Amino acid sequence: MTEQSHLVLCVDDELIGLKVRKILLERAGYRVLTAPDGSAGLDIFSREPVEAVVLDYSMPGMNGGEVATKMRLTKPHIPILLLSAYMGLSSEVLSTVDLYMTKGEGPPVLLQKLSSLLQPSSDA
Amino acid sequence: MNLSQFNRILRQVFLLPVIALLLMAVALYLQIRGANSTVNLIQESNARIAQVSRIEKLILNEESGLRGYENTSDNRFLQPYLAASSSLQAEFDRMQTLPGLDSVEKHYLDDLIEKHQLWQDAFALPVIATIRAGGQVRDVDLNLRGKIMMDDIRQDIADTTHNAEQRRSARIELWRRQVRQMEWFLLALALCVGISIGLFTLNRLHAVSSAYKTSLDVLGRRAEEIFQSEQELRTTLASIGDGVITCDAAGRVQMMNPVAVQLTGWTQAEAQGQPLEAIFHIVNEKTRDIVENPVAKVKRLNRIVGLANHTVLIRKDKTELNIADSGAPIRDRTDGIAGVVMVFRDITLERKTQDALLANEKLAVAGRLAATIAHEIHNPLDSVSNLLYLMRNGASKEESEQFMDMAEQELARVTQISRAMLGLYRESKAPVQVDLKEMLQEILLLMEHRFSDERVTIHTDLPSSVSVDAFPAELRQVFTNLIANAAEAAGPGGEVRVSITPRGPDAYSNGIKQEPGATVLIADNGAGIPDDVRPRLFQPFFTTKGERGTGLGLWVSRGIITKHGGSIELDSDTGHSTHGTVVSVFLATKPTINAGGD
Repeated sequence: MTEQSHLVLCVDDELIGLKVRKILLERAGYRVLTAPDGSAGLDIFSREPVEAVVLDYSMPGMNGGEVATKMRLTKPHIPILLLSAYMGLSSEVLSTVDLYMTKGEGPPVLLQKLSSLLQPSSDA
Repeated sequence: MNLSQFNRILRQVFLLPVIALLLMAVALYLQIRGANSTVNLIQESNARIAQVSRIEKLILNEESGLRGYENTSDNRFLQPYLAASSSLQAEFDRMQTLPGLDSVEKHYLDDLIEKHQLWQDAFALPVIATIRAGGQVRDVDLNLRGKIMMDDIRQDIADTTHNAEQRRSARIELWRRQVRQMEWFLLALALCVGISIGLFTLNRLHAVSSAYKTSLDVLGRRAEEIFQSEQELRTTLASIGDGVITCDAAGRVQMMNPVAVQLTGWTQAEAQGQPLEAIFHIVNEKTRDIVENPVAKVKRLNRIVGLANHTVLIRKDKTELNIADSGAPIRDRTDGIAGVVMVFRDITLERKTQDALLANEKLAVAGRLAATIAHEIHNPLDSVSNLLYLMRNGASKEESEQFMDMAEQELARVTQISRAMLGLYRESKAPVQVDLKEMLQEILLLMEHRFSDERVTIHTDLPSSVSVDAFPAELRQVFTNLIANAAEAAGPGGEVRVSITPRGPDAYSNGIKQEPGATVLIADNGAGIPDDVRPRLFQPFFTTKGERGTGLGLWVSRGIITKHGGSIELDSDTGHSTHGTVVSVFLATKPTINAGGD
């Protein structure tokens, strides 16, 4: 864990889940910003120097796919990890994000995927 | 040409010769009458001539008797004279009364009588008197006078005879002329009548024959048309995709088309004249009870009848087919029943397809629910697994307690959801009492997240203790479908209202007692359903959702509600400010469940 100063934005409408995820990522050394829905997330994303986004798919109003599309328009180089409680999202949605995981796969998978997104040079 | 025209021609053709014959008969009658009068006239002439000749003979006898007496003076010679003289007056009288005497003859006769009288008075009587007195009559002058008188008399007689003969000849000549004229007349008449009868008859017969020919043509065409139509009907019957059996009024088979032969397994020859139930052996699929003979049913109800659901045809080889059929009366001229026609088809495949579709829709609903459930469970599971990870990787005691509280909250959510799931696909063989409020709340709970995702607000008005007898899994399928439809129609920011209106045991409508039960209303304030789409909503495979819908939801829902003895109705408004759709489902408290309704 050498790059602990990365700033990560978490967007989810499940507030307990969001709170737990923030604690988990902070313990892993990330700085974490949270937003309870898509529009608040976009707001923070445009203001703050966010380095990665952990985005829930199923949210009221704008879903994760729509939020990701809008983020790509402003800062296309910022990696996005999409989380979903559903299996089998459409390939159209998946093509707008860098990585995808199903909720419940466990914290090691989340941390591993997030870390891989923030070390692009070593993975390439 | 119709029959009355034909009869008129027959009368005309018959009347013409009758008229001609009547004319001839009149002519011949006149001719015979002419002949009769001619014969009469000739007979009268002959009678007069004979009478004149008799008078002449008597006068001759007088003269010769007188001459003998003159010569001999013997009385015996005078005898002929006396005999003739006494007869003569009577003969003259007779002559005068003979018929047909004309004025000339009358004149001759009067002259004759007068001259004879003169001869007697001036010659005969003086001679006789002289001789009787003993004298002699040798006077030449006297005798010469007597002779001259007698010559006059003879001349009169000859004239009279001649006149009668003349008249007779004239009459005969006239008669001959008349006969000749009549011959010509009859000949001409016969010719005229013959020619006119010929021409008229020819003309009439020509008309009759052309009318007959037209009739034959028409009959020929009709026969051809009837033949064609019969062929068409035969072909239609033979090529029709359904089985067709016709029976007489007594229910004996008369005709079967090839499909009926194939479906029943009996040939037309075997079936002919057999009672229908022997060939068309049908039973109820479930109860195996014999279904009422369709012929008897048609005769009893005197109208077209359909067959009950779940009818099975037992074929000749004892294999079975699901069939759908109908029977219709064949009417006779008096609107009575001359027979019955049965139309039926094999719906075994149709039934299988329908069953497969229903299973498919059940799977689709289950799939959609599974996805919802997975979502609902994955969220708390994700939190719990994160919390466990944090606790395992060096959390303080305080932190751990906080994490455990949070984990408990999340697990409580999972328990709630799993409880709602429990009843979901619990199949039951018999209907059970279902609390509608409980069921709707469970469904709404499962869909809660989805509603919040779609920003749909739910309003409920669910009074407690409203129960109906039903198959819960099926009813849940219906309500899940209807509520999901409503949420989708309402769209982001929209509203869905779910309410229950119970109907008590003493409800009346238009004076008719209503079955107790409850109406579940599911209303949305979406755009509404256009009029042209509405009638098709309950048809299978009709969907307004494109690839996201199976098009079976409402169709299956209606099937389930019908099976439950309830009703489902849809009312929609596309007005600017009043738009929205309301689906109402009525369920009876104690319904008669149609066991084989789906």
